[in-house]
Amino acid sequence: MLTRESAIIPFSTEALKANLLRLQTEWEAAQASRDRGAIYPYLTAVFDLVTWWEQEGRAVKRAHRALHLRGHQSVRKPEPFAAVILCTTDPVKVDDRTRSKWSRALRYAAEFKDPDESLRDFIRRKGGLNACAARFARRLGRNPEIGAKSKCK
Amino acid sequence: MEYADQALDAARLGRNGVHKARDLIFSEMLAQLEASGDAMRYVNSHGRIGWKATPSLRQYLTDLELDAQGDLEDI
Repeated sequence: MLTRESAIIPFSTEALKANLLRLQTEWEAAQASRDRGAIYPYLTAVFDLVTWWEQEGRAVKRAHRALHLRGHQSVRKPEPFAAVILCTTDPVKVDDRTRSKWSRALRYAAEFKDPDESLRDFIRRKGGLNACAARFARRLGRNPEIGAKSKCK
Repeated sequence: MEYADQALDAARLGRNGVHKARDLIFSEMLAQLEASGDAMRYVNSHGRIGWKATPSLRQYLTDLELDAQGDLEDI
């Protein structure tokens, strides 16, 4: 694995397409499996992609590009996790409610997960996807109990 | 790294005396690998953006290795 300043390497449209295709492949693999935990590799791939977009401060802009690329009507300020999920899953199988739940769980993980812990372990430790989505709403949603940047374990 | 060094040599040889800096050639190579779906960026445990092979490239290399092992056993 290489570490290199990526800001000097542009993220081309072809690269965006390749990343979305990779996530779509992960989604299809999850769909093909009967394992209850099969969704985690897909969610991990979404999490990793948006996390590095966030790291570069370009998540919203790239979410816009992804929505546009996939022919979705883009909103003014798309939520990046939800946008990437919309672009890489079947909207019939992943409805608005599920997408919102996954997006909230991933945003919660983005805020509180330790970099060395896997997404699957973190979400399971916190009680599952539903619990993480609910925790997001309580701690980071419209009426948060605490500030958005205070870490907890 | 061997993969990277080969690409670096190829890039140098193909440019008729134009010697780009190693970092620039390396960056172009990474961008090409990313666009072709062979490399991806990620945030490492130190919070820095790194690069790694995509699952599809890793699978492809694993298949090649298994094929090579199979060929060796057939000899």
